[in-house]
Amino acid sequence: MTLPAGVYAQTYDEDQALIRTKPQWIWFVALIIFLFTLPLFSGGRIIGIMNVIWITLIAVVGLQINVGYAGQVNLGQSAFMGVGAYTAGALTMHFNLPIWITIPIAGVSAALFGAIFGIAAVRVKGFYLALTTIAAQYVFHFAMLKLPKAWFGQIEGLRIDPVSLFGFQFDTDVRVYYLVACVAVLMIYGAWGLIRSRTGRALVAVRDNDNAADIIGINVFYYKALSFFIGAFYAGVAGALWAYYIRYVLSDMFTLWLSVWYLGMLIVGGMGSLIGAIIGTVIIRLLQEFITYFGPLIAELGIMPDTGGAIVFASMNMLLGGVIIIFVIFEPRGLVHRWNIIKESFRIWPFPH
Amino acid sequence: MASLLSHLISGALIGLLYALIAMGFVVIYRAGRVFNFAQGEVVVVSAFLIWTFVQPWGLPMWLSLLLAFSASFLIGLVIERIILRPLVGEELFSLVMVTIGLLVFIRGLVLVIWGADVHFIPPAFSIKGVKLGPIMLDRGLVYGGILTILMAVLFSWFFNHTRAGMEMTAVAEDHQIALSLGLKVKRSIAAAWGISGVLCTLAAVIFVGGKGMTFVVGDIGMAALPVALLAGLESIGGLILAGLIIGVSQGLAEHFLDPMFQGGVGEVFPFAVMIVILLIRPTGLFGWKTIERI
Repeated sequence: MTLPAGVYAQTYDEDQALIRTKPQWIWFVALIIFLFTLPLFSGGRIIGIMNVIWITLIAVVGLQINVGYAGQVNLGQSAFMGVGAYTAGALTMHFNLPIWITIPIAGVSAALFGAIFGIAAVRVKGFYLALTTIAAQYVFHFAMLKLPKAWFGQIEGLRIDPVSLFGFQFDTDVRVYYLVACVAVLMIYGAWGLIRSRTGRALVAVRDNDNAADIIGINVFYYKALSFFIGAFYAGVAGALWAYYIRYVLSDMFTLWLSVWYLGMLIVGGMGSLIGAIIGTVIIRLLQEFITYFGPLIAELGIMPDTGGAIVFASMNMLLGGVIIIFVIFEPRGLVHRWNIIKESFRIWPFPH
Repeated sequence: MASLLSHLISGALIGLLYALIAMGFVVIYRAGRVFNFAQGEVVVVSAFLIWTFVQPWGLPMWLSLLLAFSASFLIGLVIERIILRPLVGEELFSLVMVTIGLLVFIRGLVLVIWGADVHFIPPAFSIKGVKLGPIMLDRGLVYGGILTILMAVLFSWFFNHTRAGMEMTAVAEDHQIALSLGLKVKRSIAAAWGISGVLCTLAAVIFVGGKGMTFVVGDIGMAALPVALLAGLESIGGLILAGLIIGVSQGLAEHFLDPMFQGGVGEVFPFAVMIVILLIRPTGLFGWKTIERI
């Protein structure tokens, strides 16, 4: 008797499992062990970069659900992140609440702000919606600079003392690393569950054609609002972690350009894929670090004398703009698509397809 | 009283300047169904081109202006040919992102070529303020206001009464139908990009002529957003009304609300007005309502 080839499931649980084969389990456990022992054998700079990557990852995964799965163009993700950061900072500084309360509250407050635009998305579509979400940015900046100084510190920003959980103080990069890594892994796991559920499939239906989705009985109003709610919730959690990591919050940190960076990460990684969001975030963050490191060295060579100290800013912009244009035109499905092709050709080797 | 009046009138004039920039958005959107986020950066490039022609090259003003207008027309054509042509018929998100990418890229390029220092853009006309009773007005803005209205009348006539303009309107309505009627869709879209480049130079001459500027001036593209959305992305005549509404409400907000909030309301108020009106009329005041089919 011959056994069937390939990966096949015999029970429903096996069919639904996130990790389906033994090699996948081995690699997964190895990855988790690697990520959690990373601080033991790497330098402080690497940990700093990793912290920012973890935090960015949360915001980008939220954006992926909002933009990649539900198809609502959102240019306000960094404003939502800012709302989370300010909320977490203010709750910690003024009410001294523990972080296992403040982080969820930060997420929910950002989500409520985001849901306003989700409700707008029901009536306002296409380019009009994309442009409406830009307004979130302006409203956020104005509000943070004008609300009473005792709340958010206005132009001086908000300073935050190191937070602690069960007596464990998050005051160094390495200690914060464990906080952000745990929260990020949890959030990504949640996203994985969400997109495989009824909700996730409803979001995809709304993305593909909202009129058709309406006809087959999906509540378009609810799911559009929900997609913004979830996306902004992720942004809010990311913002809270950002506040606890940098320990300083200022509205100028959360600009429209940060949102554009996040969208750039999605495009490079691949729309409508969580793996894509992760690949895009890591690659773009590393490119950014590369430019921050080598930019000043290029400036010293004096090839572009007019630019001077602005070289890092200029090359960052050209990188971001160039990457977005090239990927949208030549590889709109992102790197994850390439990755899938490579994986597939390994799997079926020696057959061509 | 004089303060209120000057806020109102200069608000209206700034609103008209926004309308001029928004006209660039609308001309492109009508033809290509693309919203060009990079409009503000083209304004910056045009202004720096005028500076380059006059200052380091020492050309006379009229020649520099002529060169700048032709250059911006070419820039429009090149952007269309290289970046937008491969994306015809792509989904909305790609079109949004590609012009945002273009915005960011041009911003970086401008920094590399011209640097971050303040450049004094030579004026195309006298920059002495215009005195109107008790109030002083920026001469550039006054000329700009008149020019904007003239351009709006001109373009409305062009799009509704000339053969070339009506072809472009037909293209705006549906690319495939226009194509099957034998209209030259590609040429119409390219022409629209060229025209909007020229409008950018016009805005640059009016807005930064005789002033010092850096690359940050590109943000005017964002400031003009509410005007374009309020008018509806297809209407040129509506831009004048929308520009006046936004400009006057901005002026009123500056006069009445700024003292309460220590400034800054003027910047955010147009967006608030825009959101409220979009929730009531999702395609702006004069935008085309399309019936969606499955």
